[in-house]
Amino acid sequence: MCHLKHLKDLQDGAKRVITIRDLSPGKHKYLARVARVEVSRSPEALEKWDKLWAYSVVGRMDPKPWGMKVVEELGLFVPGQPYSDIYESMAKM
Amino acid sequence: MAATEKTISAEKGSGETTRDQRSFIELCKKTGDVVVVEKEVDWDMELGAISRRATETDGPAVYFKNIKDYPGQGYFVNPISTWRRAALTLGLPAHARIPEIYAEYIRRDSNQIPPTLVKDAVCRDVIIKGKDLDVTTLATPMIHHGDGGRYLGTWCIVVSKDPETGWVNWGTYRFMVHNAQYLSGWPFSPSHFGFMLKQFVNHNKPMPVAIAIGADESSHLASTSSTRKGRDEATLAGGLAGHSIEIAQCLDSDLTFPANAEVVLEGEIFPDKIAMEGPYSEYPGYRSGEMGAGILMKVNTICHKKNPILSMDCTGFKDCSSVVTALGGGIGVQRKLEKAGLPVTGVYIPSEGAVHLFIIGVEKGKGGRETTERVLNELTQNRTYATKILVVEDDIDIFNLGEVIHAWSTRCHSGRGTIIKHVEGGAQQLTPCYNTDERMRRAGAVAAFDVSFPPSWDPTEVPMKARFAEVYPKEIQEKVLANWKAYGF
Repeated sequence: MCHLKHLKDLQDGAKRVITIRDLSPGKHKYLARVARVEVSRSPEALEKWDKLWAYSVVGRMDPKPWGMKVVEELGLFVPGQPYSDIYESMAKM
Repeated sequence: MAATEKTISAEKGSGETTRDQRSFIELCKKTGDVVVVEKEVDWDMELGAISRRATETDGPAVYFKNIKDYPGQGYFVNPISTWRRAALTLGLPAHARIPEIYAEYIRRDSNQIPPTLVKDAVCRDVIIKGKDLDVTTLATPMIHHGDGGRYLGTWCIVVSKDPETGWVNWGTYRFMVHNAQYLSGWPFSPSHFGFMLKQFVNHNKPMPVAIAIGADESSHLASTSSTRKGRDEATLAGGLAGHSIEIAQCLDSDLTFPANAEVVLEGEIFPDKIAMEGPYSEYPGYRSGEMGAGILMKVNTICHKKNPILSMDCTGFKDCSSVVTALGGGIGVQRKLEKAGLPVTGVYIPSEGAVHLFIIGVEKGKGGRETTERVLNELTQNRTYATKILVVEDDIDIFNLGEVIHAWSTRCHSGRGTIIKHVEGGAQQLTPCYNTDERMRRAGAVAAFDVSFPPSWDPTEVPMKARFAEVYPKEIQEKVLANWKAYGF
């Protein structure tokens, strides 16, 4: 899963830096990491890629999932000062 | 009659408070204020859903003894989300009236007791450091579907220290699990914590921090209080408890926390790294506000009691925040207004208003637009939590919402009795009705309502209440009351 400032920030076929939360069952469910991903809603992507559930900035779930492919792992966090906008910081990566 | 300190019939020299969380749970068992859930519950939303429903139904606190994936760990949820449990925290009977609870808080606040530094802490049964450290070894719930993550810090005491003055701050701020050794959090940036952090950021240095969970309720209550800068919450906690709180020093820093806390995480806040934080369903009863603008903590040490009981506020509508802020915050507001020379007789911040509605009682005959404007200006000087302020005269019981609504509906002139003030820089970013731009600027608006008949009106022509106590001679009232049962009621 990921949270986005605007759900429309995900575009089919486009790459974007997001914070991904792992939904695998178990004690590590919801742990996060930062990655550059490509997303798509093509049938092939939905079938073969990881599934990504997108949530809005207030936590409303987009009922339609995305297929997600990690293009680049970027570690656990993002450069920035406390209280700065992480969406803007991720967009600069 | 509005409740004032002078009319309060609070017990003097009231009862003992509990010395730690477990004894508070035992007390709640005796008074029927906790449900003990033996059935296994899933930390992934089930625990949160049970807690949320209990909060909204003004239910008891919940002690979960059996959490999936976490044998031996427990959760104590909604410790002070009702006035009954606020009363118990202050050593009063659970049925104490709200004015009595306020009076007891004020009495204890006036007799503050400094803490006592001790060597040992309850949480030192288990100490985890280094590569073995993993915050998910602590039962941390996914409280609401759609939250940014699992929130470990909701009813917690976050400890930080001013690098210049040495002032130690205890505050209740939210923190969630980011990854195995990291938490992200959102202590409101104008908070005392935010003030201290800014100094470290200016020097590009990490700030030591500790998060204590599952401490005695007096310490938690003090941690939520609205106090001036430099004030020591540990000393306030001692006053609220009626005895000195034992505090222990962290292993990695000189920060001090309640020695009875079941779990303590020690670490540091980065000045130059951030991580996603939120969204999170918060005390206004919505999931809104400034999301994705938090801070990042590296956890270096976890200490916990064997089989710890963690603590949680199921934040949202009618949560602990709304009660404790009504209590400590209401008293703080009253003191501020009294200091400004306003004829205040009481302040009530009802939990239904989620800290957005303040009801200010003033002496009869001293209400009016000018007083209302002065109240509004006093309460919008710095941080502004309220968005609606009702100024009512003290023939209205400010703790009786039915009376307040009646008075507001009928006495407040929608034109000349409504004053709107726009604020910039101090508004609450979590207020749901603010847009993104307002939240970034911490801008907003506050409406104050003059709920009084104009003082300039001839007293003999002021509308008379059509109430039993007003429109019948005293002898008729007495006759009716004396024969009430005989009439068949």
